[in-house]
Amino acid sequence: MKHVVSDERLHAFIDGELDVAESETLIARMQQDPVLAQRVCALRNLRSMVRLAYAEPPVVGARPSVHRRRWMQRCAFGCLVLLVGLSGGWALRGVAWQASVTQPAVVPDGYRTVSLAREADPDRIILHIDSAAPEKMRAALDRADQLLDDADRQGRTMQLEVIANSHGLDLLRAGQSPYAERIARMSRRHANLQWVACGQTIARITGEGQKVELLPAARTAPSAIGEIITRLQQGWTYVQI
Amino acid sequence: MLSRLLFGPSRPGIEALRPLLYRIAFAWCHDAALADDLVQEALSKGWKRRAQLRDEAALKAWMVSIMNHCWLDHLRSRRDFDDIEDWQDELESAADAPEVRCDRERVIACVREAVARLPLGQRQVLTLVDLEEFSYADVAAILDIPVGTVMSRLSRARASLKSLLNPALQQSAVQPLLRRVK
Repeated sequence: MKHVVSDERLHAFIDGELDVAESETLIARMQQDPVLAQRVCALRNLRSMVRLAYAEPPVVGARPSVHRRRWMQRCAFGCLVLLVGLSGGWALRGVAWQASVTQPAVVPDGYRTVSLAREADPDRIILHIDSAAPEKMRAALDRADQLLDDADRQGRTMQLEVIANSHGLDLLRAGQSPYAERIARMSRRHANLQWVACGQTIARITGEGQKVELLPAARTAPSAIGEIITRLQQGWTYVQI
Repeated sequence: MLSRLLFGPSRPGIEALRPLLYRIAFAWCHDAALADDLVQEALSKGWKRRAQLRDEAALKAWMVSIMNHCWLDHLRSRRDFDDIEDWQDELESAADAPEVRCDRERVIACVREAVARLPLGQRQVLTLVDLEEFSYADVAAILDIPVGTVMSRLSRARASLKSLLNPALQQSAVQPLLRRVK
């Protein structure tokens, strides 16, 4: 029996440091010596484990991620859109009023209207209510009725969304809304009328321990502001009640 | 970002080594933030000294060698040791023995912990040979030590790893395996 192969030699073997003749001699010995083969196998396993352990070193968390930056950009863009829309609407309120003189009731006069389009789109309107005052609610419903009826008479197809948040959410809450029946009636009459409740307001009220149940006609959007921005970007006209 | 724009064509070549260098640096120090710093420092030093590199094929080994100097500089500044040779063979960590914390699902954590417990000199040789398959001669040049030392350190490193890992892995093989049922 030949002398025992040293560990150093086996290391050199698995690391490819031996020349061809030495390697072949060793391989020949391994075929006859299961203990030696076992040692080589164990060393190779060890090397694979080390490789595995560092195959995916942890990423450094200190740097701001791309996603976060994108999210910030989107946020900033949203704010910009809202600002441009609001100031544009404010600057054009006189124009809108004049337009309503020549074309009565297309855009409700006396209200602030905002649109990102060059001309306010009379067929796609968001009514935004954030107050629980009954006269405000009634005004919103009257306005919606008026807009939809005018559109019907003139043969236009109109899309109207009533968005409620903050205290205005009461308009769409079952058991709280003073106009539940009227809302149901309006929904039956106008196919393109939608009632949208602000998800954030609902979450806040729920967090305060109250249960929020909406009228069957209402749907929920993640947030009223988000919904308004989306609609403005799509060319809708915004009217705050 | 600005430097990337200003510097010339060979910059991507050096920059491409970042993942490789990071893996090695992490295996040396087991600290993601420190490893990232070391890589950054090595990359910028490498870029400044690029004129000193004669052979493009040796770029990888050359960059690792630069990073080794950054690492040793860091250690010198961290501890007041004048002679690194003295503690290159010291045990680094006195934390829990790996077998205590190991289970089958955590072989990776287990190996890392065992590697972290190796003396610094052994850890460097082992990671260069195992992770990047540097030849013994390359490792000797990178770390500026004789080839004989490379071989003896590698041999001791693997022997220690085996003795550190075997009890842990056998233990987990003997114990019944618990799995979380979701």
